[in-house]
Amino acid sequence: MNLHNQLDPITRRAFCERWASAALGVTVMHGLGGNAFAAEATKTAAPSGPGFGKAKNVIFLQMIGGMTHIDTLDPKDGPTQGPKAPIKTKADFQLGGTMENLAKHADKISIIRSMTSKTGVHAAGQYVIRTGYEQRGTIKHPNIGAWAQHFKGSSHKTLPSSVCVNRQPQNGNGFFPSSFSPLPILDPDSGLQYAKSEASPEQMIKRLVMLEQLDAGFRDRFQTSEVKSYTQFYDKTISIMSSTDLEAFHLDDEPAALKEKYGKGKFGQGCLLARRLVEKGIRYIEVAKGGWDMHNSIDDGLDEHGAELDQALAALLEDLKERGLLESTLVVLCSEFGRGPKINGNGGRDHHPKVFSTLLAGGGVKGGFIYGSSDKEGMAVADKQVSPQDFLSTIGWSLGLPIDEVVMSPSNRPFTVGDKGKAVMDVFA
Amino acid sequence: MKTPTRLFLPLACALLVTSLQADNEVYRTWTDAQGRKLEATFRGIENGNVFLQVRNGYVYRLPIDKLSAVDQEAAKTLKPQGLGIPSDPNLAQAAAQIDMLVEAGLKKAEQKPNPLASDEQFVRRVFLDLAGRIPTREETLQFINDPSVSKRAKVIDRLLNSEGYRSHLFNYFADMLRMADVAQKARFYTYQDWLKGQLSDNVPWNKIVYSMMTADGKLLENGATGYLLRDAGMRLDNLSLTLSTFIGANVSCAQCHDHPFADWTQRQFFEMASFFGATETYGAKGNGGGMQGMRKVLASLGDKKLQQQAKNLMRVNGLKVEDTSENDLKLPDDYKYSDAKPGEHVAPKLITWSDDKAKKAYQGMQAPKHDEQLRNQFAKWMTSPDNPRFAMTIANRLWKHIFGIGVKEPVTDLDDPKASVNPELLHHLASEMVRLKFDLKQFLRVLCNTQTYQREATSHELADNTPYLFPGPILRRMTSEQAWDSCATLVVGADVDKFKAHRGATYAKAMNVDFSGGASPDVVKSQIENAVASMRQFGGGGGNPKNNAKKKRAMGQEEDLTLAPPVRNGMVLARASELPQPEKDQHFLRMFGQSDRQIADSESEEGSIPQVLMLMNGEAQRVIGQNDSLVVQTASAQKTPEQQVESLYLSFFSRKPKPDELGNAVAGLGNGLTMRDLTWVLFNTREFIFVE
Repeated sequence: MNLHNQLDPITRRAFCERWASAALGVTVMHGLGGNAFAAEATKTAAPSGPGFGKAKNVIFLQMIGGMTHIDTLDPKDGPTQGPKAPIKTKADFQLGGTMENLAKHADKISIIRSMTSKTGVHAAGQYVIRTGYEQRGTIKHPNIGAWAQHFKGSSHKTLPSSVCVNRQPQNGNGFFPSSFSPLPILDPDSGLQYAKSEASPEQMIKRLVMLEQLDAGFRDRFQTSEVKSYTQFYDKTISIMSSTDLEAFHLDDEPAALKEKYGKGKFGQGCLLARRLVEKGIRYIEVAKGGWDMHNSIDDGLDEHGAELDQALAALLEDLKERGLLESTLVVLCSEFGRGPKINGNGGRDHHPKVFSTLLAGGGVKGGFIYGSSDKEGMAVADKQVSPQDFLSTIGWSLGLPIDEVVMSPSNRPFTVGDKGKAVMDVFA
Repeated sequence: MKTPTRLFLPLACALLVTSLQADNEVYRTWTDAQGRKLEATFRGIENGNVFLQVRNGYVYRLPIDKLSAVDQEAAKTLKPQGLGIPSDPNLAQAAAQIDMLVEAGLKKAEQKPNPLASDEQFVRRVFLDLAGRIPTREETLQFINDPSVSKRAKVIDRLLNSEGYRSHLFNYFADMLRMADVAQKARFYTYQDWLKGQLSDNVPWNKIVYSMMTADGKLLENGATGYLLRDAGMRLDNLSLTLSTFIGANVSCAQCHDHPFADWTQRQFFEMASFFGATETYGAKGNGGGMQGMRKVLASLGDKKLQQQAKNLMRVNGLKVEDTSENDLKLPDDYKYSDAKPGEHVAPKLITWSDDKAKKAYQGMQAPKHDEQLRNQFAKWMTSPDNPRFAMTIANRLWKHIFGIGVKEPVTDLDDPKASVNPELLHHLASEMVRLKFDLKQFLRVLCNTQTYQREATSHELADNTPYLFPGPILRRMTSEQAWDSCATLVVGADVDKFKAHRGATYAKAMNVDFSGGASPDVVKSQIENAVASMRQFGGGGGNPKNNAKKKRAMGQEEDLTLAPPVRNGMVLARASELPQPEKDQHFLRMFGQSDRQIADSESEEGSIPQVLMLMNGEAQRVIGQNDSLVVQTASAQKTPEQQVESLYLSFFSRKPKPDELGNAVAGLGNGLTMRDLTWVLFNTREFIFVE
C-alpha cells in the first residue's frame, strides 16, 4: 500500500475512501499457530431441527455475583419466598416481585428453572457458564462468540464480531486467535476507548502519510504474516476511526426517551448499546452486570439491582420486538449460580449452585414457556436438569453452530461448543 | 608464554567435532616463526594479538610477532571472518559447536544461513534480548562507534551483568510461573522478590527449582513457598503445571483420563502426585492451637471492620507449606480403569521416558521411609543433571527466549525429542546446560555469542509445517514488557533500570504476626492493630510506587530514581518487573499482550483493534512525544533538521536514517509536521515494535 503517490493533492474524503477500500476484504491473518485450525478430527453432517440457526445475533446478559433465582425467575410461595411476593405475568407463570416490567413481556421468554452447576466459587462459576469448560492453568476456552466466528467467519467487514460491555474481554477468544477476542466497551456512555485522536484530521493524515513512507522499507524487507497482520490491524483501525462505523458506539444518537426507558445505569445503557450493535451487524454481545452477591440485606439489593435488570431487560425485549429484530436475535440471561432458599442472619442469601434459573428470548425460542423445575423450596432440581454445557449448547444450536463438531486447539486438544452438552430442544418453537 | 605451546597441540587431541563449515576457503594454514603450522580462520587482530579459530571452534590468541613474516602481513590485510573476537577461547568453542550443529541441520535441508547482522541490528536485538529494552541513543552510538573487534562479546557481557538482565528474565519466568500479586486473597510479593533475588545472584536453575519444590514455612517468611501456594489446595493442577513447565512432560490430559495421544496414564499422573500427598498447602491441618486462640481474640474485637481485616491478616499468615506424616493422596472417585479402584491410596512412583538412557537419576529413588521427605525425593529426581528432560527443557526455553522459536515446540512438550526440528542440537543444548551447571547467565552468554544468533533475522514468511532450522533468529514482535520498558526508555533513558519495588520486605514486615501459642491476647491484639494500620497502604494499587513519587514531590525533593520512578500523565515509568503483576486490564502492558497470569506462558504477541487504538491515541504516544520526554529533548537540542531526524532514528531504531527516509522526514518537518508528530510516526511503525 503505497499511499503517498495518490495523496497529492488530497482531500480528507478521498483519503478516507482510499483507506477504507484498502481495508475492505481484509482477512485477518494468524500468526504461526494459525494453520492449527485446519485440522478437525471429526466432521458431522450439518444438523437441522427446530430453532437451528434461527438466531443471527446473540445478546448474552451475564449477572455477576450469583443472581438469586427465587427472587427473580423462580419465585416460591413458602417460607423461602424472600422479601417480595411473586407476581402474575402475561403468561401462565409467576415471576419474582421485582420483575414487574419483565412480567409484561413474559409472553416473549422461556425460563429454564432446572439449571445446576458444580461450583459455588464466583470466578470458576462465571468461567463455566461463559465457556462450558472448567478453568485450567494450561488453556483458555472460547466463548460462544469466538466459536461462532470460527464456524461462520466475521460478522462485519471492519468491526469485530464480538463485543463485551461493562466487562473485560478476559480472553473470550480462548485458544482462537486474538482477532476473535471481544472488543471491550467498559463504559457504554463513553464508547470505544482511545477512538479519538488528539490530532486534527488534517494533521492525522500527514502523520499517516509519513508513517507509510518511513515504514515502507521495513515492511518491504519483512513480508511475514505477523508484520502484515499488524498492518491490517492498523488499516482496520484507521478505517474504523475514519468511517461511520464508529457511530455504532455512539449512544448519544439514541433518543433521550429511549435511553431513559432502558435505565440510565451502565447496565441499561449497555443493553441499549447491544441493540444498537445488533443493528450494525455485530454478532455476539456480552453485557455484564454486577451487584448480585447478596449475602446481606437482599431486600435492598433487589430494590437496586433487581429493578435495574427488570427495567433494562423489558426495554430490550420490547425494543427488539418493535424493530423486528427479536426473531433473529437470541437474548439470554444467566449467572454463575443461584442463591440459597434460606435467608441468613444478615438478611441475605448465600451461594447456591445446586439449582438456579436462566432465561432465553427471541432467536426461535418459545414465548411464555417454562422448562424444568426446582423443588418447593428452590433447593434442588426437581425435574429436567440442565447443566451450563447444555445451556451453552442451546445457544450454539440457536446460532446454527455444529455443536458436535470437534475442533483441535493449537496444543492439539479436542474441544466442542458447550463441551458435549445437549441442546434443550424443548425451548424452541 | 603459554600460548605458542597451546597453538600447536595436535588437532586430533582437540574435541572431535565433525566440521561442517560450508565454506572451506575461509581456512588457511598459518605458520609461526619456528615453522609450526595451524589450519584456522582469521577472526581479527587487537592489541598486537591475532585471533585464529580452528575447526573445532577453539580460538587461539597469538602475539603477532610470533607469526611468520608472510602471516604477519596476512593478519594485517585479511578481512576477519565472523563477528569479531569472542571474550574467551572456550566460549568461542562452545558457540562454534552450536553453529556447526545448526549448519548441519540447514545443510541437510539444503538451506543457507542468513547473512551476518549489522552492528545496528545486533545492538538493538541484544539489548532487547538480554536487558529487555531498546538501547538509548547514547548506548547505540557508543556501540556503533566502538572500533574494537571484541565489542559484540563485550556488550553481551555488559548486558548480562546489567540491572535490566534481572528484570527481563524475571518477566519471562513470571509469565511461565503465573506470578500474580494477588492469589489466595493474599499478596505474593515475597515470592516475586525471592525470584528476583535468585536471578540477580545467578543461582543455578536446578537450585532455584529445587527450592520451589521443597520450600517450607510461611509465604511471608519464605518467598520460595509461593510456587506451591500459588495453587494452594489444588495440588493436581499444580503438579500438571510442574511437569509440563520444568520437564516438558505433557501430562495435563492424564489428570482426568489416560492421555489420548501420548503414553501417560491417569494412574501414572496420580503416582507422581503422590510425591506431594503429604504436603499441606491449604492450612487445614496446620497450627490449629494458635489459630484457635486467635479466633477468641478476634471475637473480642468489637469493631466489625477491624474483625474482617484481622481475619484477612490471619489468612495471609496462614499461607504456608508444611509436611505431614501422612500421604493422603487417593485416586479420584470417578477412576475408571481396571488396575485400581476409585478412592484407593496411590504409592509414589516416578515416570520414565521410553528413550531414557540416563537411569542415574532414578538410582536410590525408592520411596522414602518417611512421608515428610516425599517431595524432596521428587525434587531431587526432577532437578538432577541426569534427569533426561530437566536440562533439555530449560535449554530449549532459553533458546526460544533468544531466537524466538524453540528447537522443539511447544516448549511444554518434550516427550519426543526426536520430533524436534534438530534433535542433535536439542540434545547438545541439554548437555551444554549440564556442563555449565545450570548457570543461566553462562548459557545465554554462549547462545548470544553464536554466529547463528548474530545473523540477520529471517525476513521471509515461514511456510506452514516446514521446520524452522535457524538460519538466524526469527523476526519477533516485542513482548509487552519489552515494548513498555522501551517506551519508558525513550522518555526516561537508561535510568529507567534504577527503580526496584522491593514490595516483599515491606509487605512481610507489615503483615507478619506470630500466631503461635504463647503470646497473650493483648499482645496479639496490638499486633493485629499495627498490622491492619500498615495494611492500608496495600489496599489499593498494591504498593503502587506512584504514591511514593507523589509523596516525594510533595516534599519538594528532587526525584531519586532508585526510590521512586518518574510519573508522567498518570503513568508510572518503571520497568514492567517493578509494576503490579500483572498490570490492570487497561494498562499499556495488558493491552499489548501481557499475560493475565492465570495461564502459564500466555504472553500474547498478537495485535488487536483496541491495542492499535491505544498505540495511535493512548497515553504512551503522548508521553513519548511531550517536551519533557528525553527522546524529544535530545532531538530538539540538535541544530539542523537532518540531525534532529537522525537523533530520533537512533533513539527509536538504533540506526541512522537512510537517505530517502531522511529526505522524507525532513521534508515533513518543513511541511507542518512537528517533532511530536514525528515521534508519533516512529512509535507507530512496525519497525519499532518488531525485533530484527
